[in-house]
Amino acid sequence: MKETIKNTTLADRLLFLLLISLSVAGIFISRDALSQGSEVVIEVDGKPAYTLPLYEDRLVSVGGSYGDTLIEIKEKKVRVREAHCPNQICVKEGWISKGVIVCLPNKLIIIVGGSKKDEQLGIDAITG
Amino acid sequence: MINFRLFFPLLLFSCLLLSSCSADKMSTYKKSKALLDTFVAITVVADSKETAEEAIDNAFDVIEKFGELINFYSDKSELSAVNRNAGIREVKVSPETLDIIEKAVYIAERSGGAFDPTIGPEIQLWDFFNKIRPSDADIRKNLSLVNYKNIIIDKGNSTVFLKKKDMLLDLGGIAKGYAADLAVQALKEKGISAGLVAVAGDIKAFGLKTDKKPWTVGIKNPRQKSSEDEIIAKIHLSGKAISTSGDYERYFMLNGQRFHHLLNPRTGYPAYACQSVSVIADQAVMTDAFSTALFILGPEKGLELAKEMGIDALIIDDKSSVHTTSGLEGILFLERNH
Amino acid sequence: MQLQDKQRIAILSAYAIALHGFESLLPTPIPWLKLGLANIITLVALVLYGFRTALMVTLIRVVLASIFIGTFLGPAFILSTGGGLASVLAMGLTMKAFKSLFGTVGLSLIGALFHNLAQLTLAYYLFIQRIEAILIISPFILLIGSLTGIANGIISDILIKNLLKKDREKIQNVIHS
Repeated sequence: MKETIKNTTLADRLLFLLLISLSVAGIFISRDALSQGSEVVIEVDGKPAYTLPLYEDRLVSVGGSYGDTLIEIKEKKVRVREAHCPNQICVKEGWISKGVIVCLPNKLIIIVGGSKKDEQLGIDAITG
Repeated sequence: MINFRLFFPLLLFSCLLLSSCSADKMSTYKKSKALLDTFVAITVVADSKETAEEAIDNAFDVIEKFGELINFYSDKSELSAVNRNAGIREVKVSPETLDIIEKAVYIAERSGGAFDPTIGPEIQLWDFFNKIRPSDADIRKNLSLVNYKNIIIDKGNSTVFLKKKDMLLDLGGIAKGYAADLAVQALKEKGISAGLVAVAGDIKAFGLKTDKKPWTVGIKNPRQKSSEDEIIAKIHLSGKAISTSGDYERYFMLNGQRFHHLLNPRTGYPAYACQSVSVIADQAVMTDAFSTALFILGPEKGLELAKEMGIDALIIDDKSSVHTTSGLEGILFLERNH
Repeated sequence: MQLQDKQRIAILSAYAIALHGFESLLPTPIPWLKLGLANIITLVALVLYGFRTALMVTLIRVVLASIFIGTFLGPAFILSTGGGLASVLAMGLTMKAFKSLFGTVGLSLIGALFHNLAQLTLAYYLFIQRIEAILIISPFILLIGSLTGIANGIISDILIKNLLKKDREKIQNVIHS
């Protein structure tokens, strides 16, 4: 084995160093992205309509029985900015960074993050 | 080298043997929907996506139909008809509505009124969105309307009557659990042998997962400080239901005091002996209502009632101490720091 | 193709299938973490007997092993075929184009790199379609791939040297007798 390592060519060693340094650098670069990995899933009538990253600020308009609902993602938080449903519960919930906002009249569900982490913890559901 | 040559064919042979046993085609499918003013998620183990979706959609329909009967806010629901006719006359209701009201009254009786489905007039005084605390006079005034004994059920004629005018029957503390039971029954009727129904925090699990292990449910930490301590405990469930009542679900802070939605039917004010109560039993209708009842009763009386009823409970008291019944040994796993 | 070639391909394929099957039984603490042991056989075949033999051995290995494991024509089969082909092509081309610039260990690294690149590309287009997920997982896979590539390269090198030595001894024995 010592002999084998001694017999490696210069190109072998350079290639190894290049690959290792590239991938280690890649890990550090992607870790930033990973820490912001939460996503916003918007479901309409039980079907996923959008999956958006939580770390990108944006406004999304989603159609429903009561016209368009305006969903805002800002600073890793989500809220329903504008809805035309009668009870306005979804708007009153305000900003959330985790959990669920439900707008029943529009059959709209906004789910923020968590699911990946729950899977890591081996949890199938949460009570409370 | 001889050994080396023998070794590989042997390995290959053992690979073949082992791989032939693991031909398991069952998978897990999950779907969610907004129902009962909340978030319902159903997970099932099935052999194909079509089977799973058909069964789940059917269960959603069952919940939706049930929801229409007992929706507190809809004028068309049977529950609203009962409430409108309080103090006036009895109202004919469908068997499902009658059944859930009967169960609510049964649990109210067994809990000595700690759970009371007629708490409606008190709940209505509070506005947890706009942080409005009602006056003591109003709370006292409506207290006379809260008493489950004034629900008159005529099983033969399938009617329900609220004795006093302005009484309000609110099944919010039991309907989600009842719906979870209905959904599980509907899934089983469609031939599903394992799954998990979560109607918000009211969860019922049956059968085993694809890895032949029971379902794992996380119990929320009532005083979460960071994203790391969201879960206070994990529990393994199969053929059991769990519900949690906590003072952190709907509340507002006023002058340093927490006002939450779990009102004591005797006083009309929030109960302060617990932060959160989880109840584990066979039926979700039981866990849903008893988690509220035990919360109102507090740790000592709560555990006593749990034992009497043959159900299990995890109680986190006002000092964040954890109390459990002995039946949870081996299936409950507290996270560290607790 | 000569009879000796066929025998060689058969024996090498058998080894490769055994290693492939053995590896599929090992628990994977990190998903997608593969030792790539079968690549040892590909590499030995490539260095000692040339590109055609290595390609044949790879093809036979991915098809037969997946049938034995029960993943034939499934996602895992597509991934391992893509990875195996990319790896053997890359190693073959490198050997042809650069001759003695890279040793066995370097070839192994190149094989591992292209194996992983091909698998990630396939996984992206066919199964995951979420570029964030691929980007996050790629550096880990490439790092692990480089480490296992080195290890496999060293093992291959030792194997090749021993086999060459045996051949020499055989030839000497033939001459002596």
